Amino acid sequence: MIDKAIPVPIGRVVATELKPATPHQFHFWTPTDTTIGIGAIVKVGGSGTGEEGRVVYGVVTEGFAYSDLATPLHDVVGAEGDPTRAVEAPTARQQIRYWTAAVLRQTPEEPLQPVPLGQVYVADDADVAQALRMDSYLYSATPTAIPVGLYTSAGRDAPVYLDADFLLGPEAAHLNISGMSGLATKTSAVEFLLASIFAHFPAHKGRVAAVCFNVKGPDLCFLDQPADLSDEDRRRYERLGVPSTPFERVQLYAPLKADGVNLNTLRTHPDLVDDVEPLTWGLQEVVDYAEVLLNRDDIDAKADAFIDFLRDRVLGRTFDDGFGTTHRVQTFADLDRLFRSIFDGLEVISGGRSDTWRTHHIATMRKVRNRLLNISTRCKGLVTDDGPSSDLPWQDFKDRTVYVIDIANVDPLGQDLVFARVVSKLREQLERRELGVDAVVVFVDELNKYAPGDGPDTYVKKMLLDISERGRYLGLVLFGAEQFRSQVHRRVVGNAGTQVFGRMDMDELATPGYQVLTPATKNKLATLPIGELMVRHPHFTQPIFIRFPKPPVLRGRDGVERFPPAADVPFEDAVVRQLVRLDRRVRPNQVKDLIADREPDDVRRALAAVRRIRPDDVLAYFRKVLGARVTPEGALPREHHTVPPLNPISDEPY
Amino acid sequence: MVEDSELQVHPIPEPQIPNPVSFLNGMQRWSVVAYDGVAQIVSAYVAAAVCRRDKRGVLHATFERSRAFAIAPLDRLSPTLRPVLEQAVPDIEPVDGELVGQPARYLEQVESTVRRARAHLERELAEAATAALGADEWLVLDGLLSRSPAVARHPRALGVIKSHGAQFLDGRGLERALTLPAGHRTSVFAVRGGHTRTEVYSWYLRLWPWEGNNLQYGLLRVEARADRETIARAPALSSWLFAERAPLATPATRWDRLLYPLHHVEEYLKARAPRSPAARSRLPVA
Ligand SMILES: Nc1ncnc2c1ncn2[C@@H]1O[C@H](COP(=O)(O)OP(=O)(O)O)[C@@H](O)[C@H]1O
Ligand SMILES: [Mg+2]
Repeated sequence: MIDKAIPVPIGRVVATELKPATPHQFHFWTPTDTTIGIGAIVKVGGSGTGEEGRVVYGVVTEGFAYSDLATPLHDVVGAEGDPTRAVEAPTARQQIRYWTAAVLRQTPEEPLQPVPLGQVYVADDADVAQALRMDSYLYSATPTAIPVGLYTSAGRDAPVYLDADFLLGPEAAHLNISGMSGLATKTSAVEFLLASIFAHFPAHKGRVAAVCFNVKGPDLCFLDQPADLSDEDRRRYERLGVPSTPFERVQLYAPLKADGVNLNTLRTHPDLVDDVEPLTWGLQEVVDYAEVLLNRDDIDAKADAFIDFLRDRVLGRTFDDGFGTTHRVQTFADLDRLFRSIFDGLEVISGGRSDTWRTHHIATMRKVRNRLLNISTRCKGLVTDDGPSSDLPWQDFKDRTVYVIDIANVDPLGQDLVFARVVSKLREQLERRELGVDAVVVFVDELNKYAPGDGPDTYVKKMLLDISERGRYLGLVLFGAEQFRSQVHRRVVGNAGTQVFGRMDMDELATPGYQVLTPATKNKLATLPIGELMVRHPHFTQPIFIRFPKPPVLRGRDGVERFPPAADVPFEDAVVRQLVRLDRRVRPNQVKDLIADREPDDVRRALAAVRRIRPDDVLAYFRKVLGARVTPEGALPREHHTVPPLNPISDEPY
Repeated sequence: MVEDSELQVHPIPEPQIPNPVSFLNGMQRWSVVAYDGVAQIVSAYVAAAVCRRDKRGVLHATFERSRAFAIAPLDRLSPTLRPVLEQAVPDIEPVDGELVGQPARYLEQVESTVRRARAHLERELAEAATAALGADEWLVLDGLLSRSPAVARHPRALGVIKSHGAQFLDGRGLERALTLPAGHRTSVFAVRGGHTRTEVYSWYLRLWPWEGNNLQYGLLRVEARADRETIARAPALSSWLFAERAPLATPATRWDRLLYPLHHVEEYLKARAPRSPAARSRLPVA
């Protein structure tokens, strides 16, 4: 390191018997006029300072000002009780700016000794790297540094890096960010960090992708659209070495609406809607995660056993119900038929006196039936009768690609299902090393909803706990965001190697999780400006304040203004649109003629088949499927047709 | 009496505080550090400083002088120790060896030696400071103005005296002075005193009500140049010094009479004084 100029001390360490310097803390004073404040990084000793031996880096955690006034009464006496006269006193009392700093690092590290009573200097870029132990991963032969923002205290502007080995595994992993809605910039910070990860994920660690669940309005719907950035923000991007451009590869998935053809997302502007893949799953996918549906109130071993039975013996097989009917259950309709047949059979044969069928109690069967058919009603558009017509590319995830799954308008139960299945699949594929990438960041906003600190142990919660505890070995990394960290399960936040805090609520700061922070640090957190964050990272021995640029992508709220969502199109137009998307040669009128007097269910089924197969000649295949399959007599009306389909669009402004 | 025919009591007008003002004060410290038989060898430290007050009321040190020295009855020291001491300490103030056998009186002699050294230092510094004083700058000294003729004749130097050992008045005048109400001053009178015999003008000023305390509580005596101008200025100077009551110089014991800036200079000197007199470490341990 070359010293550019002789450093000028800005303060001096002082220690008294009552307030001594220790190996982990020291006190110093500065002139009344000083650039440093809470969060500033300072250096004691070091080359060129005359104290060559020990160098100590610290971060300012508390500040005090006082004068030689022995008691406030003396000020009253001096002013004879009149505040205006107090100002007229000809001499200003001797006063002090006195700071407490927590030690970030000492060199040499051994023997660990109290901080020497030396001069205090403002830290420069190199000092910040040393202080935060970033040197080991920033300057190594295979650097693993991921820029997270700029340290900007004391008039400086030094990049701060996280260590990919501790952010994305295997040493540690996961990130949790909390703070007040709209002020803490949680979503923005994650967007920026993903851009930074994509730009700096080290080559030797392979390929990386992100899966983001959009759970609030249009939050993550425009990650491929550029942001309006200020020059100041562009300069910050440059300083951090992150491109200020939106994500190049974004794939958005959204379930369909109850009509089975329109997309359930706010990204429906004609210019953009073509990039949205429908996300639809069938009976098999639902039954595989049936525990998600059950555990909310009534997980029990009997239900589990019956679900296993359905999974192993019934689904997709030829199955004799014992009352003379053979079933081949592939759809919810098939399943409903089987249940009816069983219940009717029990009624007819035993006159209602027998209440078990193949060791399963009728009450258990009813419960499972209700849950399964219920989800197909509540999440019509996500859950369809016809198996997965559209799913994530489980074996072919692409490097530096963001997969956004828009479940903002899906029923909570459906959200849980999406969540459980996507994360479990990611885990499975990563375990087999068949996902196509080596690491996936899963971003879950509103984490308190999915992994609350109290309440029952739901399947989703257990799953999030599992990733938190084991994900780092697999490359399955959880980025969670929530307003109140104290409301998220302790082990989920506790396992996040990197903790980020935006503007915080004072009540939240009063909870036990924040006891280690000084009053000044808490106060800074409670008044943190937009765009500033406090970061804890395994290499940093103390929390560090940083500033990050606005994310390089169009904010969801601006997105829906610039690209207003289109109104739902009529059924037949929606079908046309989906087919045209798959094959540009398809003529709208041909499609309309084809479907003119067909049952909507048949059309949906045919559409799903086309989506699944992706044939070369879309129209021909569509015609073939539509013609080939005739609705079985007696299957209609199905139970869930009697219930009005739910399409819960929340009223909440995003 | 140079103002009024007999000593009167005058209320003081609204204050006008001159700017800038410099304040001079000194300190002393000594202790016995070695023995040669019953001869006590003393290490002493005296210092003085001037602080100038800026527009914002903040004090900045402008002059500073100190002296660290030993005090020893050189003629009574043993032939082995004397060269060792003279080697180790370049600055030795010899004292008469006659009192060595009477330790208490010997130490009184030491005390007055140190006080003299301090007064000398303060006087030198006062002379340097008055010589360097700006066109409308004032110098306020802790103690007698009349120690140095040059300082005593300076038009903008004031001495502020807190202890009233010497009496310059008697009869009704003395009574008026000692029962002066707060915010009042006496008439100006002439004083001949100090080592120099330079005449100065003087008056009393009460900073805080004495009722309920002793008669000297809050009582200052001010010294200024012996000149008609001083008489004309006495009201304004009094109101200025009265305004210097705040901020309070607590926790100093004589805060009722000690002006905060003078207190500050003293604190400044104490903070900078070697913790144990410098000579100590260089003296052979007895
Ligand atoms: N780095 C930044 N600098 C300035 N403003 C920002 C920055 N990041 C985000 N913002 C703005 O702050 C607001 C809140 O951000 P958002 O990420 O939605 O917060 P949260 O997710 O915590 O509710 C948005 O209006 C956003 O444009
Ligand atoms: Mg948000």
